[in-house]
Amino acid sequence: MPEGFLPWLRGLRQSDRWIYSTMLVSALLSLTASFVLSVDAIILAADPHAALACNLNAVISCGTVGASWQASLFGFPNAFLGLIAEPVVITIAVASLGGVRFPRWFMLSAQVVYTLGLLFAYWLFFQAYFVIGALCPWCLLITLSTTLVFTSLTHVNIRDGNLYLPQGAGRLASGFVRADLDALLVAVWLLGIAAMVITKYATVMF
Amino acid sequence: MSKDNSCNITATGREALHQRQQAAATADRRVSVAIRTAWIAGLAVIALLIGVTTWSIVGARASNTTGGGAIDGLIAPAAATDSGAVVIGKPEAKVTVTVFLDFMCPYCGQFERANGGALAAAIANGTAKLEVHPMSFLDDLSSGTKYSTRAANAFVTVANHDRATALVFSQLLFAQQPAEHSAGLTDATLAGLAAQAGAPADVVAAFGKRTYQPWVAKITTQAFDSGITGTPTVKINGQTFTGDLYTAGPLAEAITAAANA
Repeated sequence: MPEGFLPWLRGLRQSDRWIYSTMLVSALLSLTASFVLSVDAIILAADPHAALACNLNAVISCGTVGASWQASLFGFPNAFLGLIAEPVVITIAVASLGGVRFPRWFMLSAQVVYTLGLLFAYWLFFQAYFVIGALCPWCLLITLSTTLVFTSLTHVNIRDGNLYLPQGAGRLASGFVRADLDALLVAVWLLGIAAMVITKYATVMF
Repeated sequence: MSKDNSCNITATGREALHQRQQAAATADRRVSVAIRTAWIAGLAVIALLIGVTTWSIVGARASNTTGGGAIDGLIAPAAATDSGAVVIGKPEAKVTVTVFLDFMCPYCGQFERANGGALAAAIANGTAKLEVHPMSFLDDLSSGTKYSTRAANAFVTVANHDRATALVFSQLLFAQQPAEHSAGLTDATLAGLAAQAGAPADVVAAFGKRTYQPWVAKITTQAFDSGITGTPTVKINGQTFTGDLYTAGPLAEAITAAANA
């Protein structure tokens, strides 16, 4: 490993370029998954039998997830929310890569709304895991990409002090981010989720 | 005088500065120890998670290969064809209806409720014979009790004794179909339903031996290898039936059409 690689990497991680690029990629993934799930929901609505055959690879599924009440909690497919929200994130990421700086209140609002989205995504994940007992790959992609967008948004908002945190908490948070502990936390979290899924479904997946 | 004074002030100032520096250094050290501890703990958790995940993948692979490979000592039921089907009805019937099912699959239950009567009638009047492939791929949906396998084993055991009884048994199994993620029907309930269908006690008593468990695993793999992607898959004279499987009518019409062709 070349001398100074680690400091370079750590510097890169704190840079706008890195943060907003990962935000952009994650939001694009999330948008793609939302789009696929929305189209599926429309197909399912038009022809409920389309998903009726118990699909093997979706042992994982039988259309179970898509047909559950949890999948349209607000009376329309949840995936529509992704179609609404992710383009905003994409806009923020692209504009920021182009040098635009948004006001603090704007970034704080984005953080609040996206946090609600993240909570919803995880509520769905746990419903699918423990209650519905089925998983769909596109839903898992949404869980993953939503986490990554939330991570990069939180990272930049802590770095730039956009969250109106009290002084002590703000110092603690920015120290946490400077020590790259946020990256560690996210890695542990995502690996934990992956371990949950794999240990439960290993016999089906491998 | 003034020099002394200034010296004294500087000394006090230096001491204060020194104390502040020391306090700051102690705080810094504390912070860096905390950070290092967090990293070590985090990396340990990561290693642990990777270990657990790998271990479960390896375990699953091993159990899957023994599951698929335990064909040694495999006993094929006399009632079954080489392709893994239990044939019910007159061999000379003009129409062959092939059904790939899993006794746990809710849509197979829906299919049975919509078409079971028409199928039984077509078998009874000699128009059609039924080829049932009892698969077990939903074994993971019965809280570890492998209901799909137990039911399939019971079904072929009864079929070995008498095909018509097996058909009635299959209808009863779907009428009492357990929900996915339940523990499935118990062995006692399976035995009770078989007896109700008309299977004699010695046939029912053989369920517990799970004689055909390896065969069921084999024909499940075989069905997927042959291109079956889910259940219920229904074929009429070898052609996949693409009509509505879940309302009474379309399948019966297709059988009549094939019989008159």
